[in-house]
Amino acid sequence: MIPSPERTSVASFRTKLLVAMMLIVTAVAAAGLAFAQRSAASAVRQEFQGEFREMLAASHAAQEVRDAALAERCRALARRPRIHAALEDGAPDLLYPSARDEMADVMGRAREAAAYSLHALYYRFLDSRGRVMTPPGAGEAGALEAGDEARLSLGSLPEAQQTGYLIRNSGEVDEVVAMPIVSTESGGVISAIVVGFRAPWAVAGGAGIRSGAWLDGRLAFPSLGEPERGVLASAMARAIGARGPAEGGLELSAGGDPYLLFYKLLNPGSLFPPAYEVSVYPLGSLLERQRRLLWQFGGAGALLLVGAFFASRLLSDRLSKPVEKLAEDSQENRAHWHRAEAALEMTSRELQRSARFSADASHQLKTPVTVIRSGLEELLAGDNLRPEAREEVAGLVHQTFRLASIIEDLLLLSRMDAGRLQIQFSRLDLAPLLAGLLDDLSAFPDAFGLGVDADLAPALWATGEKRFIALILQNLLENARKYNRSGGRIRIASRGQGEWAVVSVGNTGAPIPPASREHIFERFHRGAVGENVPGHGIGLNLARELARLHGGSLQLSVSEGDWTEFELRLRRSTGADAANPA
Amino acid sequence: MTTLSGIRRFAALVAAAALPAAAALAQASIEGSVRLPKPEHAPVMNKRYGIVAYAGVLSPYPPLAVVYLEGSFPPSEPKTAQVVQKDLTFVPYLLAVRVGTRVEFPNLDNTYHNIFSYSPAKRFDLGRYRSDERPIPSVVFDAAGLVTLRCDIHEHMRALILVVDTPHFVLSDAEGRYRLDGLPAGRYLLKVWVDSKTTLVRAVDLSPASALREDFP
Repeated sequence: MIPSPERTSVASFRTKLLVAMMLIVTAVAAAGLAFAQRSAASAVRQEFQGEFREMLAASHAAQEVRDAALAERCRALARRPRIHAALEDGAPDLLYPSARDEMADVMGRAREAAAYSLHALYYRFLDSRGRVMTPPGAGEAGALEAGDEARLSLGSLPEAQQTGYLIRNSGEVDEVVAMPIVSTESGGVISAIVVGFRAPWAVAGGAGIRSGAWLDGRLAFPSLGEPERGVLASAMARAIGARGPAEGGLELSAGGDPYLLFYKLLNPGSLFPPAYEVSVYPLGSLLERQRRLLWQFGGAGALLLVGAFFASRLLSDRLSKPVEKLAEDSQENRAHWHRAEAALEMTSRELQRSARFSADASHQLKTPVTVIRSGLEELLAGDNLRPEAREEVAGLVHQTFRLASIIEDLLLLSRMDAGRLQIQFSRLDLAPLLAGLLDDLSAFPDAFGLGVDADLAPALWATGEKRFIALILQNLLENARKYNRSGGRIRIASRGQGEWAVVSVGNTGAPIPPASREHIFERFHRGAVGENVPGHGIGLNLARELARLHGGSLQLSVSEGDWTEFELRLRRSTGADAANPA
Repeated sequence: MTTLSGIRRFAALVAAAALPAAAALAQASIEGSVRLPKPEHAPVMNKRYGIVAYAGVLSPYPPLAVVYLEGSFPPSEPKTAQVVQKDLTFVPYLLAVRVGTRVEFPNLDNTYHNIFSYSPAKRFDLGRYRSDERPIPSVVFDAAGLVTLRCDIHEHMRALILVVDTPHFVLSDAEGRYRLDGLPAGRYLLKVWVDSKTTLVRAVDLSPASALREDFP
């Protein structure tokens, strides 16, 4: 029912809709997934970092507890009466021997100690200028190389406990606590005891987190391999610089593996050189999780797109249904329109053909009528006709005039039908025209003995072409005469009514039956009453068409009892009335 | 042991009383008063710290002074004195003894004490002992000087023993009054020990049976 181009255009509409929907869905889904993936990835990262920080915090908490315990041990040592006695009662020679006794339980088994052991590795006293007092016997206060020992010295005696770290020449890291020894006599600091403990990260850390120390531009990280240590050391050197932040974190890649790095200043404000704890957390599993996440999101995205494809397809089918219907309907409408147009075209062509035919026929007819008339007039002019024949021929001449008039009317009608009749509008006073027509009427041979009444406005200006208006009025007057009865009357009235110039023509006689009233203005219609009345049924039709062409109208105003009246309305030329009130 | 020391004191008194009356008549005396320092910082707990340390100076609290006459005197029979440990303090917290005196350190608390001294005048370490330790741990102080007694277990416990090389010494009372009797005539140095860093010295010329009055300052 629908031609294939429409089908294909609807199908292409559907495809375009599908593609547009898919594009939108893909874009939205991709954006949503990308956002979700990113936030999930960052959540995982944060979770990792949180885990890392928690582990760090736990280790720091343990370290703090240990540091507090170490400090307490050192404080207790710094209060020992023998140590005070040795320092204050003038017995420096008894200092280390006394301390050996005091430290007996603190020292020992440190080498086998666990990460958070409270056992000391060595201890040294500082003199009044903060320098290490070397113990009298080697190994008496815990073995320490001379160079390492020298680094325990402080510039001056500390007023409060100091925490420091020592990277030994051997690469081991020790945590060092310096506790001032306050004189009970003077209240001043008279010495300090420096106790070295094994740093917690000297022992290999847990599965995830690994720690080391950064001190004096050196990195001590026993649990890392040499190449990673190098990368870490340069990263720390960059991060901390000369006087870096107290703590921070960064990511780095060492030996092909990504690490999360966190550093923290362990001894802020200490007289010992600043030492950073450096903790690394391998991110391998994080990357693994993120990769997995990416795959999951990718899969979800693919599924979503497939789902969206089908949903879009369904939707586009649905949505294109009414469009298809619309296309069909519009196609039908177009077909109707085409048909109507074709019919109109045909009608108009036929009309033109018939008009042309009428015109041709009228033209073709005029010539023979003229020939016949001139022939007949020649016969009348001759002397060889008998008087009876002469009367006959005279009747025939009269008939040729009628024939010519009919042909004239037909020609006029056909010109109107073809739309080729142009009215030359001009101002026209109806009063003299009507007076002339009334003269003609009274000059006509009168078979009925009709009386003529006239009620004419003295001057009534209208617009139109004189000969056509005259033709209308002639037709009306002729009808009023033809359809009259014996001893009847004709009445002509004219008046101005607003913008109209109204002329009414009435006559006595049988009224037009109501069923015929509608048809009297049709072409070739003749009233049923007038079978014996001469006429050809185009007069009223012609008159009405002409009235319309003049922008006016022609109507049957009265037809009852013994009276029939037509009313002609023409456009009044009011300005002319004012100009020529005559 | 109280009985024992009582007996010894009694014996000493008898010995003093046995001195010839004539010699006693010929002997001079010094009396006077010492203006004792008012410690600027009261100890944390009353009576607990018999010795207070301030700005590197050890002083007895409440303040007491040791007044002694330094010169050349014949040796006397070795004596015995006591510093007891009671309620985690040394009693007395300031003791003056002549060189050669044996000082016993009975432990009257039912906890361990470990008295030691790192002072140059006398280094010793009695180790830990309880109240039932017999014989009572004791130390003979054989050199003059100030000895700081400490307890290895109770770091706050401190006492001073001033070892002087003279039989003529006395502790002032709490107001700083003192009196030295039975002094032989001659030229001497009268010394007043006020704290670990302050010893006031004044030369005195004692004539027989004279009674001097020396106030410090």
